[in-house]
Amino acid sequence: MWSEFAADARLYSALRWPTRDSALWRALIWLRSGGLRVLALQRVSHRYLQRRSQRGWTAGTILMRFLIGLTHRPMMILSKCDVDDSIYIGPGVYLSDLGFLILGPVRIGSGTLIHERVTIGVRAGDPGKPVIGANVWIGPDCVIYGNLAIGDGATVLPGSVVSISVPAGAVAGGNPATIVRREFDNALLRGSLARNIDPRSFAPR
Amino acid sequence: MSRYWDVVRADIRRCVNEKETSVRRVLATVCNQMGLQAILVYRFGRLLRAARRQVVVWPLLPLGWLLYGLAVLWVRRGYSIRIALSADIGAGFWVGHFGGVEVVNCRLGERCSVGQQTKVGRAEDTEGPQVGDGAWIGAHARIFGHVRVGNGVTIAPGARVTRNVPDRALVVGDPGRVVFRGYDNSQILPHA
Repeated sequence: MWSEFAADARLYSALRWPTRDSALWRALIWLRSGGLRVLALQRVSHRYLQRRSQRGWTAGTILMRFLIGLTHRPMMILSKCDVDDSIYIGPGVYLSDLGFLILGPVRIGSGTLIHERVTIGVRAGDPGKPVIGANVWIGPDCVIYGNLAIGDGATVLPGSVVSISVPAGAVAGGNPATIVRREFDNALLRGSLARNIDPRSFAPR
Repeated sequence: MSRYWDVVRADIRRCVNEKETSVRRVLATVCNQMGLQAILVYRFGRLLRAARRQVVVWPLLPLGWLLYGLAVLWVRRGYSIRIALSADIGAGFWVGHFGGVEVVNCRLGERCSVGQQTKVGRAEDTEGPQVGDGAWIGAHARIFGHVRVGNGVTIAPGARVTRNVPDRALVVGDPGRVVFRGYDNSQILPHA
């Protein structure tokens, strides 16, 4: 868990403060970034759920349950995020500091960027949850719902409503979303927090 | 007044299963469900607004408006749910999730459901949208302008409604298109 915290802090400080690279700034990012705190609490809650299913009620799990119960609701109200405790989140994931994230997929791969006002959840009346791969870039105002998979390195353009599976490395966009491009390297997008990208530059070839 | 309690009971029924309506269960649900808290605050505001005609309760009104103001501040800042008093909402309203809900200057029928980031009617000065009974409005959906949405309509997540929608239709996309007529949304309505 500690290595995951370190990977998160490294990613957040690289994205927020690209020019300031030192251990002091990586410590200060914990004070300045709401998304990082949400992510950290989710990791602790996820670890608690795992421990409880493995070991049952011990002194450690009771203490964790008490501390999580104290912090969970205030964190939700302060950050305006509701991230499900049962999600497996890989190390080094960015959740937006601006909040309004409502996330409930099965897992989120490492290196994924999720911007503000994104909903990832189930289709009404269908319990199947989405699976988000590694190195995915999800723009602001997106809705991703249903029993689907977003492949590794895929890009979801801002404001799109995705209810179909997106293959690895593809770009999905539009409302309802379609695959607008097959092979696209989103490393540049994931390298900064620029989010107002022009969807016309992703026109089908 | 009895009609007011019927409306509030219908709102709570949307969140609590009909078979387990004990006082403890209802209180726990009100504490947990942020959307239900927002609806109850809205209903209280509408009650205060209607009480303007009763001269007998005038001495109580300043205290009532003070309580309403504090509660609405909490709901707007804390949960970011904005249900303005200019909206006319029927019994059995359900807000699925906190975050970015705006219901302003519109008319919603009975047993309507909205998700998070939903915007219904934004401008206060023009005539707002009218939505029929039993509509299910998904997350991130937007309904602006003077449009008429029929009974039992399902609006998919992220859809933007720009024109009138017939009864029992399924609206998808931006701009919204009716992709299915005669869609039955009774399966996805919670406790309706």
